[in-house]
Amino acid sequence: MESEKNDYHFSFFKPTTESSRRNRNMVIQFVLIWAIAIFGFQILLKILEKPTPEPAYIVYETYWGDIQAGNIELTNLQNVGQSALSVLGKVAIEPEYRQALDNAVSWMAWNIADSTQKQRLIVAVKEFEDIASVTEVITDDLYVGQKNQLIPILQEIFNLHPNDVRGKIAALEVKSSLMRSFNTESRKIFEEAMELYLIHNRSVLTDTKFLGFPFHYFYTAVFLLILFVGITWLYCVRTDMFNKKYGIED
Amino acid sequence: MKKTLLPVILLSIPGILQAATASTQLEGGFKVGPSIILITILILFVLVGIFFRAKDTTDFYAAGRGISRVGSGMAIASNWMSAASFLGMAALMYGSGYHGLAYVVGWTGGYVLLLILMAGQIRKYGKYTAADFIGDRYYSKSLRAVGAIIAILISISYCVGQFGGIGLMFKWVMGIDYKLAVIIGGTVVLTYTLISGMLGVTKNMQIQYVIIIISFLIPLFILTAKFDYFWLLPQIGYGSVVSDVVAGLPINETKELINSLGHDYAIVPSPEFAMPWDPSTGKTFFQWIAIAFSLMIGTAGLPHVIQRFYVVPKARDARWSVVWGLFFISILYWSAPAYAAFGKILSAHPEVGTLAKDAIVVYTAQLGDIHPLIVGLLAAGGVSAAFSTVSGLLVAGSSAFAHDLYYKVINPNASARKQLLYARLATILMAIIVAVLALQSFALIGQLVAVAFSLAGCTIFPLFLLGIWWSGSNRQGAIAGLITGGTVSAIAITYFIAGKSGLQLPAHEFISYWLEAWYFAWIGAPLAILVHIIVSKLTEETPLEIRKFLIEKVHG
Repeated sequence: MESEKNDYHFSFFKPTTESSRRNRNMVIQFVLIWAIAIFGFQILLKILEKPTPEPAYIVYETYWGDIQAGNIELTNLQNVGQSALSVLGKVAIEPEYRQALDNAVSWMAWNIADSTQKQRLIVAVKEFEDIASVTEVITDDLYVGQKNQLIPILQEIFNLHPNDVRGKIAALEVKSSLMRSFNTESRKIFEEAMELYLIHNRSVLTDTKFLGFPFHYFYTAVFLLILFVGITWLYCVRTDMFNKKYGIED
Repeated sequence: MKKTLLPVILLSIPGILQAATASTQLEGGFKVGPSIILITILILFVLVGIFFRAKDTTDFYAAGRGISRVGSGMAIASNWMSAASFLGMAALMYGSGYHGLAYVVGWTGGYVLLLILMAGQIRKYGKYTAADFIGDRYYSKSLRAVGAIIAILISISYCVGQFGGIGLMFKWVMGIDYKLAVIIGGTVVLTYTLISGMLGVTKNMQIQYVIIIISFLIPLFILTAKFDYFWLLPQIGYGSVVSDVVAGLPINETKELINSLGHDYAIVPSPEFAMPWDPSTGKTFFQWIAIAFSLMIGTAGLPHVIQRFYVVPKARDARWSVVWGLFFISILYWSAPAYAAFGKILSAHPEVGTLAKDAIVVYTAQLGDIHPLIVGLLAAGGVSAAFSTVSGLLVAGSSAFAHDLYYKVINPNASARKQLLYARLATILMAIIVAVLALQSFALIGQLVAVAFSLAGCTIFPLFLLGIWWSGSNRQGAIAGLITGGTVSAIAITYFIAGKSGLQLPAHEFISYWLEAWYFAWIGAPLAILVHIIVSKLTEETPLEIRKFLIEKVHG
């Protein structure tokens, strides 16, 4: 009675039969492949990564000191303005950062413009703001027409090529109320925004292309799923083979 | 300081008004074509449901165990591919870039664990529900009751996100208020679930899978072809879209392609979309790992997923149905990131403004100027995805109540008719609770659903894992493990709800980060397993008959 009581103990790590032992080994193999493929790769990504600034950040970083000191050259101010527009073109900027960035590009536009450009700019911006405030749909002809008048002025001020999408973005971000001052608080938030949105974790794994993808993205979004289906398929095939070999009925 | 300036700023910037008009334009009013498609699909579901109506309790719970492997795989996929997969995943990638891929990996990688560690053994064990297994394996009526209650809580938590998705799609199709849309959508899915019962739902699920996958893929083929990418296999073709987002796309390279609002198909360089744990997303490496891990073990602990293995005739079929199920699921998961990538470029112009992330799949198709009827089919697919999952969850939850709680614990003499009545009453009650919670819009769909996964990972997963693989796992260990997992869950969920209600609890930031509601299982599950093992070792051993059953029937 006592011996029966001590029988029938079973554990994954202490299999009682040959088939259980083989099954345990197979499970360990597959779980290891699974875990290393998922977590090992992400850890590798983390180890290799390096905070890498976008070219727009390098331009900003080079000339920001001059802007703060108040001795920036116009061409360089244009370049920093372009950098700020690079951030404003990104999707989903936090509202407080957008405000500081709007302030920066509005102030820069005003300071870059010569007296003639200033006059054209303020008129065009104000007229666009007036129309925008009463426009219900953004495809409205009047709204689009006024916006199209403002775009070339800003392209000229920021020295942007017509193919550069930032010219069109500028028309929506330059505000008449934000042109005349760019105070210390806004500048601080602007600095934070530039650092937050223009520096990214990159490595050889993110910069190598594979089938059009950045490699790491392909690996995680496509390959891992193929691997999962492959593991499950192989597990089933091998389990069927084992069961047949050991005469196990399902 | 930044925050105090905000209201003034918002009032002073006309640009904010423009943003609102752009998204309103996309939202539109009542849409006739999409409404007809949606209604047709819903009627089809109900008719098929009536045709395969449940006749008795065995049918209601486990569909008579008469479903083929491929069919069961499709049912697994349909049951699985919820609003979180259809709408929520693209939303997470659209909003948080590479971080969103943790959900893709988590929601597929879990199937490997489920298959290798559980599927065949669960079928061999031969119970109907998760609570059935827990009550039997741990020889405890109380644990059966607790298991049933946890299953109900998981079902409710999982359903909240689904109702949110249904609400968003009904809102888009009918041009009505979100709250009204949740109530209408919830009523329809409840009616459908009540009528069809489990057998009807299983049969429907194969039809639903086909509808879901077709509606999801057609717009993607069109988008890749239209914007000049490799359209024959959009799941690979969108790789160039991702690279375009990263490197930026000047206007001259897009051959005058525009979105439906007239904006150029162009974007400034936006590496934050694809680079890992980008600072601008506010997400970290730890969160990526914690989410992927929690979702994976949660997958292997979800009662409505585990329950699918009872509907196949043999353990071998249970195993192969996972392979098929995962393959069918992956077709959607390979495709979802493409919507996020296209959505990023098509909504890049500031005029588009802030879009509801959970509807980004539909907005992307709209911005890509795809025919409204096809966009309507896409929205109907979203509803269908939510429907198939909700019906499965309501059945799992109601059967946990009627079968595991009422019949097995409260009233063992209850007739089959009475059990079915209680199952239906529980379904109605659950749907009402879910609708009330969905109206609060606590978080994104994907995140809300992830809460259910962490809950399952902390509670059910350890019970199944140790219950199947270790004869030494006993009742006392199970209780201790459940208390541990339950406590971690309760802390995480309490902090989450408190945070949403504006309350600051002690160490709020610390707990909210390390035990966030969508990934608290990263620590909760290992702790529960550890406590379960220690207590089992210190207490009396598992009864002989259970050990014998495990060796002879489950692992024999």
